[in-house]
Amino acid sequence: MTPRKPSSGSHGHGKDKLLRVLRGSKDLTQRTRRTSVTSVLNLFRRQRTQRNDGQERVPSHEEGTVPRVASGRSSRCAWLVLAAFVAAAMLWAARIPSPEAAPLGPQMSAAAEPEYLTPVEVKLSPDGAKLYIVCEGSDSLLALDTRTRQVVAQVKVGDKPRGIALSPDARTIYVSNSWSDTVSEVDAATFKVRRTLKTGWCPVGLITDPPGKTLYVANSIGDDVSVIDLATGEDTKRFRTRHYPEQVTLSRDGRRVYVSNVLPLPTAYDQPPASELLVINAQKQTVAERVLVPGVIELRHIAEAPARLGSYLLVPFVRPKNLGPLIQVGQGWVLTHGIAVVRPSAVSATEGGKSRVTEVLLDDIDYYFAGNEGVAFTPDGRQALVTAAQANVVSVVDTVRLARRLREVPSEELADRLDSAETIVAYRLPTGHSPSSVEVAPDGRVAYIANRLDDSLTVIDLARRRVAGTVDLGGPKEITLLRRGEQLFNSAKYCFQGQFACATCHPNSHLDGLAWNLETPQLGRDRVANRTLRGVRETGPYKWSGKNPDLATQCGPRIAKFLFRSEGFNTQELEALLTYLNNIPLAPNRHLAADGQLTEAQERGKAVYYRTHKNDGTVIPIQNRCDTCHPADSHYTNKLSADVGTATKFDTSGLFDTPQLDRVYEDAPYLHDGEALTLEEIWTVFNNKDTHGITSDMSKEQLNDLIEFLKTL
Amino acid sequence: MKRILTANWLLALAGAALTAMALAGTARAASTPRPHLITRWENFTTANGMPDAKVFCVTVDGERVWAGTEDGLVLIEHGKVARVFKTEDGLAHRVVMGIALDQATGDLWIATFGGVSHFSGGRFENFTNLTSGLLNDICYGIAVQDKFVWVTTTAGVSRYNTYTGEWTNWSEKNAPFHEPWTYGVAIADNIGKIYFAMWGGGLIEYDQVQKYMKAYTDPDEEMELVLFKNQGLVHIIVSNVAYNPDTKMVWASTYFGLSGYDGRNWHNYLNKDSGLASDFINAPKTRRNEVWNCTDKGLSYLDYKTNTWVNYRPDKNTGHGEIEIVWPDKTKTKLETPTALAHNYILNMDFQGEDIWVATAQGLSHGIREIQKENQLYASARNRRSPGKDAPAHSQEGR
Repeated sequence: MTPRKPSSGSHGHGKDKLLRVLRGSKDLTQRTRRTSVTSVLNLFRRQRTQRNDGQERVPSHEEGTVPRVASGRSSRCAWLVLAAFVAAAMLWAARIPSPEAAPLGPQMSAAAEPEYLTPVEVKLSPDGAKLYIVCEGSDSLLALDTRTRQVVAQVKVGDKPRGIALSPDARTIYVSNSWSDTVSEVDAATFKVRRTLKTGWCPVGLITDPPGKTLYVANSIGDDVSVIDLATGEDTKRFRTRHYPEQVTLSRDGRRVYVSNVLPLPTAYDQPPASELLVINAQKQTVAERVLVPGVIELRHIAEAPARLGSYLLVPFVRPKNLGPLIQVGQGWVLTHGIAVVRPSAVSATEGGKSRVTEVLLDDIDYYFAGNEGVAFTPDGRQALVTAAQANVVSVVDTVRLARRLREVPSEELADRLDSAETIVAYRLPTGHSPSSVEVAPDGRVAYIANRLDDSLTVIDLARRRVAGTVDLGGPKEITLLRRGEQLFNSAKYCFQGQFACATCHPNSHLDGLAWNLETPQLGRDRVANRTLRGVRETGPYKWSGKNPDLATQCGPRIAKFLFRSEGFNTQELEALLTYLNNIPLAPNRHLAADGQLTEAQERGKAVYYRTHKNDGTVIPIQNRCDTCHPADSHYTNKLSADVGTATKFDTSGLFDTPQLDRVYEDAPYLHDGEALTLEEIWTVFNNKDTHGITSDMSKEQLNDLIEFLKTL
Repeated sequence: MKRILTANWLLALAGAALTAMALAGTARAASTPRPHLITRWENFTTANGMPDAKVFCVTVDGERVWAGTEDGLVLIEHGKVARVFKTEDGLAHRVVMGIALDQATGDLWIATFGGVSHFSGGRFENFTNLTSGLLNDICYGIAVQDKFVWVTTTAGVSRYNTYTGEWTNWSEKNAPFHEPWTYGVAIADNIGKIYFAMWGGGLIEYDQVQKYMKAYTDPDEEMELVLFKNQGLVHIIVSNVAYNPDTKMVWASTYFGLSGYDGRNWHNYLNKDSGLASDFINAPKTRRNEVWNCTDKGLSYLDYKTNTWVNYRPDKNTGHGEIEIVWPDKTKTKLETPTALAHNYILNMDFQGEDIWVATAQGLSHGIREIQKENQLYASARNRRSPGKDAPAHSQEGR
């Protein structure tokens, strides 16, 4: 189908008013930030940076910060090349690594930072009297009296809590602690932690079964679901997931547990993504189906419609067009946002069952609502609320109209139709910063939305279709530079038509698991894999090409010109954003023992990593040793570009930035274009000529050991 | 009168003798072993939905049955071939050599000639030598032990930790493998061991607590002869292995006989001095007091407690099934069933209650036990059996 052209005439007066509310008091296109942006541009234009090959690059007006090689200075170039060569050789010589070198550089201290609450999840008690709020920033659980809208209790839980579940009798609250790898079991009456249960790595979403005997916990980094026997507290078994599971929901009949995954299935880099919704048979405790949701990533919360409406599921998603040039932002369609309508099969997949999936976009033609995250039905199922965390909006979907839309438009068309929202979205309301989770009261009158970066709740009056109020949860009033930066990182309003935020492609400040056709206007050329932002400080230069010497270059005018297709961030905003980026922490290393002691395999792998001789005794040239390009004293990157033989015919250059290796096990896919889906493939498939370290002489055991060591970094 | 009394006395004596003989017969009948019999066979072949004649393995999953063939994975359900999964469905390779059911999750782990497939919720996830730490893509056996998946390959043994993603490999480089070619794996959790069948390398025992491997090889080191009685493994070419948690015995099938090990003594069986149908055994299976042997000359069952053998094979002339019972005293009884195994070349089998499923070179056979028919067969057997002396278990000679 042909996309419809944006037409301002297709929107009513009320909608224009709403858009103005959403975009701020001034229209984005009329904002007068041009002066400050220009000054930043000039600042960067004045900078002359040195590339590692010694060539001078002078950003031109036309190219923004894209470097170009200075011409007509051949002799000077030759000297520079020579100087660079000597410098590089000295660097290598000076960086004979010590195996005992500290594995991590320092993170910027955030000690002076006030403790924000950062409410990420809300859960109502069955009677609606209490709203429990999980606060990731303050490592706490709050209880709000919904009548007085006052916080009446709070308790400290584990590190970075992310999810919440209630026991069927509502006497127990379970909170997942994503960095502690535990669940805190909280007594709802006394609000004290009764016990702490061990889970897999990075627990997020969780739910109990109807009898309250079993707890299902999605372990995001572990890529599995723990099944915890609540009588013994033991993690009895795990279901494998793919990839980064986060949210868990129990079907209303208690028969199924649904688990959504944030990152897509590992797929060939030139194929469109697909994500998985795991369906667990809660009675048999077996996997019933792995539902493929094609073309989308970042499946978030899951809501099930009442049985009389068919018990279908709504799952928010992001639909990226990563195979086409991102230069197309101006034409829209690069990143759209919507909900998957999943009609689960009555029988398991092995019995031939197959759930039906239809994708519907919630964006408007000329303005997008990025970061769909929370979703909840009203008790009668006639409305579904979907939070757009990067647009600071909640969209209220009329499910009767949604059902009609699904009947009228072929399923295969709907996923790309930007005119659905006109039909199915009843209204939209503004929220605070980063509305992440939504709960509707049992009487269906109000809804509560957790504003993650505002330390507040937005209360929606569903009868009057308006914001009934905002509840201040009591976090610090001061908005620090770092906090402001995090808000900016999660805000799509700096992008043309609000299409996406930094966080859209970097969910949880990480990566989206995709390779993107970022800048080259040629279809399929120079695709590059997304890279994590965790621990990104001091790992510059940035980009796979290594063109951006620092984050300011990466995120300043370049972002505006090439990605956001807008004016981007002003000087103050850029400073705040950089402060945030420089403080994105690395998660605890799950492969390293608490005392830092390496296992036997890791020790053997360490010896391989630092080896100087091949198995046959011949010396490995210094430039071919792992630690030459990935030295321990600088996040395992020498910050230089190298040609490791991974370029394909679609790449303009074979030189790519040497990536840092901190928490490398979290960062699949690998290599510049994401061709290597696993760490093993880096060497087994893409290093046939020993250009990416000498590995051809290694036994399989040695390679496995090496990988076990890499996971400890 | 005296003559009459004498006659009466003689009659009474004869009666008493007959009664005594009858009583003795009853007592003997009561002590006769009576292994249960498979009385009917239903076969799944290329004629009724199997993708290939050669079936390498079979695994029962409750009411469902999974079979690995030379051309894909087959699901048998409700008495018919319900689904066939091939490489186009995501299976790692067309040749499926082993299937392990993870009882905890309901997932399957599948050993193929192109790596390992994890089948869950209708989808495959594959692990190969290139994409993972798997030692080799030619995989034969596979077993699930809690969070670990054990895989036997042509290059040794791989263990995958499904919680951490770690692969650990054992080969001739770091384990006492005379040959790295590994066929089978058996989990012996209740004695803390894992056993591996090595082609040319004997039986390998992995101690889960001490974390070391120990090799059991043929003590006489003779390829074709068995010189020492019950002193060790019958032969170093071990084709597969099974562990019986009830008896705590491990059974190793070789191409030259069957070996059982109870942790202290070896119990070996050869065709020439036992009821074993053939010394060429592809795989053993065991439970309770039963040891089933998949041989090239039929399915050979041993009731370990009574030392009674029952061999099943098709009669090539009639197409009927042949049951050969080898009693403890080595006398034999031959019975016939209207239906037969799909082929006498047996590759693997599994239990489904009192029924069995058998992988053969010409299809998959479902062996069904029917009590009434079994009684009829035993009634007919009583008339045909040659009397002999019961022998205690493991008293065979000649190994």
